[in-house]
Amino acid sequence: MITKKWILLNNEIMIKKDDEFNLEKDKEAVRSYFLDYVNKNTVFFYTLKEKIDYLIENNYYINFYEQYSFEELQRVYDFVYSKKFRFQSFMSAFKFFQNYALRDDSGEKFLERYEDRVVAISLFLAQGNVEQALKYAEILINQEYQPATPTFLNAGKKRSGQLVSCFLDEIGDNINGIGYAIDSAMKLSSIGGGVSFNLSKIRARGEAIKGVEGRSSGVLPVMKILEDTFSYANQLGQRPGAGAVYLNVFHTDIEEFLDCKKINIDEKVRIKSLSIGVVIPDKFMDIAAADEICYLFYPHTVFQQYGIPLDEMDMDQMYDQLVGNPKVRKKKVNARHLMVKIAQTQKESGYPYLFFKGNANKEHALQNLGDVKFSNLCTEIMQLSHVSDIAIYGQQDTIRYGISCNLGSLNIATVMENNRVKEAVETAMRALTVVSDLTSIDMVPSVQKANKELHSVGLGAMNLHGYLAKNHIMYESKEALDFCNVFFMMVNFYSLKSSMDIAREKGQHFEGFQQSGYADGTYFEKYLRTDFHPQSDKVKLLFKDMVLPGKAAWEELAEQVKEHGLYHAYRMAIAPNQSTAYIMNATASVMPVVDTIEVREYGDSTTYYPMPYLDNDNYFFYKSAYDMDQKNVLRLVSVIQRHVDQGISTILHTNTKDNTRDLARYYIYAHKAGLKSLYYTRTRKASIEECVSCSV
Amino acid sequence: MTAFKAVNWNTPENDYSALFWEQNLRQFWVDTEYIPSKDIDSWKGLSPEIQQAYKRALGGLTLLDTLQSHTGMPKILDHIDSLQNKAVLSFMCMMEAIHAKSYSTIFTTVTTTQEINELFDWVHANKYLQFKAATIDRYYRALDKKQVNDEELFLALGASVLLESFLFYSGFFMPLWLCGQGEMVASADIIKKIIADESIHGVFVGLLAQDVYKTLPHPQRAKDKLTALLQELYENELKYTEEVYTDIGLTAEVKEYVRYNANKALMNLGFEELFEVKEVNPIVLNGLNLETTQHDFFSKKSTNYEKSMEVAHLKDEDFIFDLDKDLLV
Repeated sequence: MITKKWILLNNEIMIKKDDEFNLEKDKEAVRSYFLDYVNKNTVFFYTLKEKIDYLIENNYYINFYEQYSFEELQRVYDFVYSKKFRFQSFMSAFKFFQNYALRDDSGEKFLERYEDRVVAISLFLAQGNVEQALKYAEILINQEYQPATPTFLNAGKKRSGQLVSCFLDEIGDNINGIGYAIDSAMKLSSIGGGVSFNLSKIRARGEAIKGVEGRSSGVLPVMKILEDTFSYANQLGQRPGAGAVYLNVFHTDIEEFLDCKKINIDEKVRIKSLSIGVVIPDKFMDIAAADEICYLFYPHTVFQQYGIPLDEMDMDQMYDQLVGNPKVRKKKVNARHLMVKIAQTQKESGYPYLFFKGNANKEHALQNLGDVKFSNLCTEIMQLSHVSDIAIYGQQDTIRYGISCNLGSLNIATVMENNRVKEAVETAMRALTVVSDLTSIDMVPSVQKANKELHSVGLGAMNLHGYLAKNHIMYESKEALDFCNVFFMMVNFYSLKSSMDIAREKGQHFEGFQQSGYADGTYFEKYLRTDFHPQSDKVKLLFKDMVLPGKAAWEELAEQVKEHGLYHAYRMAIAPNQSTAYIMNATASVMPVVDTIEVREYGDSTTYYPMPYLDNDNYFFYKSAYDMDQKNVLRLVSVIQRHVDQGISTILHTNTKDNTRDLARYYIYAHKAGLKSLYYTRTRKASIEECVSCSV
Repeated sequence: MTAFKAVNWNTPENDYSALFWEQNLRQFWVDTEYIPSKDIDSWKGLSPEIQQAYKRALGGLTLLDTLQSHTGMPKILDHIDSLQNKAVLSFMCMMEAIHAKSYSTIFTTVTTTQEINELFDWVHANKYLQFKAATIDRYYRALDKKQVNDEELFLALGASVLLESFLFYSGFFMPLWLCGQGEMVASADIIKKIIADESIHGVFVGLLAQDVYKTLPHPQRAKDKLTALLQELYENELKYTEEVYTDIGLTAEVKEYVRYNANKALMNLGFEELFEVKEVNPIVLNGLNLETTQHDFFSKKSTNYEKSMEVAHLKDEDFIFDLDKDLLV
């Protein structure tokens, strides 16, 4: 094994010369990666025809000739190649070829370059319409829009996983329900999805089974089975299976649930790779603020008394009643201590995620149809769900809504610079819609039902920090808030508009539209009250060439929506997009960067990634997230959240010196600021030299 | 009869013991929280020569950690006066035992019992490895009596630093080198935890050694003896390196790395660097950087999280924020 030159070069970035990093080494690494590796290992074709025929005949691509003539295919290829795409950093190229480019069956030779992947995705999404294919090709090769990994990886391939990334479902409180969940977990994971389950309905440890007290072993054993299921079922080895589980904070197993990440706990209840999240209703935050005694409830006894699962109750109304009902079994805890325990668990493991149920439902446009009860693996999906009743063999199941969502992200820098926010949103929405329409997860009927009737998608954004830094705006500044307030209003506007257009074209809206806040107009009220236009001169300048939707435009849109409906029950969600951000040479999501040169560890590589556009002039604007007051980050997210119907993956960046109280204060702030969720907490360790040198 | 003393953490005995105690605790980990089974595919893709070198490198490390936990730390601990320092050393001693076991966690996961048995036979028979262990052990055994003189204590502490900060690294090279190239990454998480521990162990024992050094009547003599020991070990280390790494063509790079770490050991003891070092392999050098990295939660476990030491509780004022002002755009 010889050390690869490009990896060496990429590592040399970090070796400082005259106190500066060797940034130019990254360009050398890209060059070497192509010359010494990619080019040597790419199958060469003499003509385009030969290439396409080979890929189709050998079962790599679907038969595009069924939908396009060769001349049409050639048009798309020529257009994409004429753009002279070049990777801007080693990380981008490496990530693409390592994880996304099509390889031959031996796994050794590449059959695709970036351009070819773009074409294959465009052809696939356009379903035979060459003009539309060119539109997709344009936003992709311009790097204005990036589909989530499953679509980017699989579209156009003959043998591939699904195009949808994200699934969620409830688990019913009986063996059939649990069995259905495990079965779904395995199937969904094997086709490449991240799967999340709501465990809150499952009876707690020590509750009765068939009327015999003390027999239930609670949620932990179910988690253990799910964890093993996910690690077994991966997508042809291309992605490790991943899953998350959520538990309501009022469930009596909550402490045990939080302890599962402890490193020295019994193997039977230790959770290593399953992600965990806590559902926090407003009532819990109120109890903590008032420092009152907090009661946790045994969910099965609650269900027996009221016929409604604990986690579907409005705790603001029901809490006191539950406390007063002697037939509901309960456990007394201190809410503040429980918050601190959450903080402690986060400090030690990065988990749990937090889902603020009240905030997620406050402006939920589909609230007449159901509540949002939990979230997904990346805490940006916020949709209603209803638990299915799974019967025994031979009897009819009652299938209700699971959740299915496919995601994609706009690149803020390129759409702003190309002045194509409107076009990019519209084309992106169509790309997401095609994926939803072509997806049929018939092996998991609850998920299939949701996809078929609700057509949910999640359009997000990336490269916020990169764009701000490039324009010399500090991430924590008022200008950044100003920018986000306008930008995301636009994305919201155009995504609604295209959803309406699609509904009009298809003559079909999502199931239940008539009962939604879109139909009765309540959703639009805030946009009819004020214009969301830039306030500061600096931000006005960024938008100077664009037409910004104002009150009149919103009013017109509201009317059109009322008339034609919307095709998608849910439209926007801001994903953390990690790998795909690297390919776009973008900063991830709307989060701040962690370092000017990021050290990125994956299961199969360690790579050094200088931030996009970084140079000696703008160095200052790449302030690390770890050096920011997290309240400023939460504040920015809260502004974006106003314009996003689902959620935003929000990472807290903390330091070793931040204690549990500091963390808990961030939760309180996030909750008050209207955030719907918090994703991981990352911690920057104090280096050993730091601690020793300051005291010895 | 002398009274038995209880360790009193209320009164600091020096500037650093409480600090090291906390840092040790914060870094606490156990091998089974990591997931080396993710490396099985990677392992199968490595050439037999690389596999051999990897096993031997880790086999050698197992021997050194065993020596350190069974002999080194206990012997030294007997002759350290500060009760708080003793506590720190005994915690480190326990970690050394975890280290020695954790290499086995990796072997057990990726190789067969037969291979593991052969590896341990190799460890027991390899003369350079045995020489390392025997040489260091001699200095530890010198403390095996009621009264020792300061020079003996200094040399034992010095030997320990050489072990922790210098001799380990010919072994660490291999997993770091592979990990930097995307191989055996999950196992490298364990190795990085060990390196983080060894680095504070080296610094701490180095500080103890410097304290003793200041009280020596003939410091130069002690320094000369230690330098001679270093030279002797260095010569042996070069041969050991050749034996493990020549088949895979890494000998020259590992030797450079050995010299780099020899200098670090000397610095931990408060001495000048002795070896000229030109260019250390950047992949391995970056692998040593134990600061926080961005990791992908779905494909690997992080080495960034630590025990949370300070549990602070919430107060009423923590629930009050002036949000309207903050959110004004």
